[in-house]
Amino acid sequence: MWNREKSLILSKMFIWIFLALLIGFVLYANVIVDNFVQYSRVELNAVKPFFVWTIYVGSIPAVVLLLSMQKLLKCIEVGDVFTVLSVKYLRIISWTCFVGAIIALIGTTYYLPWLFVAIAAAFMGLVVRILKNTFAQAVVLKEEADFTI
Amino acid sequence: MAIIVNLDVMMAKRKISSGELAETIGLSQANLSILKTGKAKAVRFSTLEAICKALNCQPGDILEFRDDGEVEA
Repeated sequence: MWNREKSLILSKMFIWIFLALLIGFVLYANVIVDNFVQYSRVELNAVKPFFVWTIYVGSIPAVVLLLSMQKLLKCIEVGDVFTVLSVKYLRIISWTCFVGAIIALIGTTYYLPWLFVAIAAAFMGLVVRILKNTFAQAVVLKEEADFTI
Repeated sequence: MAIIVNLDVMMAKRKISSGELAETIGLSQANLSILKTGKAKAVRFSTLEAICKALNCQPGDILEFRDDGEVEA
């Protein structure tokens, strides 16, 4: 039977899978970029190091994002959903998305399709930011309800 | 805060302990402590009624408004 615990375990598993993928992506960045450049229709040999560095720099906010997601899930697991701490993690997640968007935007200077990544990351950041605002309001309401005697 | 809770004063006048009052009005000691220390954000009419009944007093004996000159932004 599907329940809340199993759903949380599934979410955690996805985070670990993405973390493993990210580590693999960073470790084999050179190989991945080589293959990408090889099969690309456009001549990209000159900008290969930029691709590798974009992956390296972009992996920093990605790790922070995944770890914040993990911590947020831990908060949900123990029942501390509408707390200042969960709002903090949502804020971090939102900002890491925006940082990722900026990195991708810088990447457009040598490879224009990075623009799609930048737009997707910025939109994701915006969605999480609105979620963070909702959670912050919920924290105020919960505090008021908790202190109503 | 502009609203002052004088519950401890009234309890002292009626010579009733926190535990005794909490039991009479059906409130936990922790919640009564929140109310006494002025940390509460709101008081239910039902709670106020129970306190007034238990202490044989008026809401005005427990709650007091003091203008502290704070202007809300």
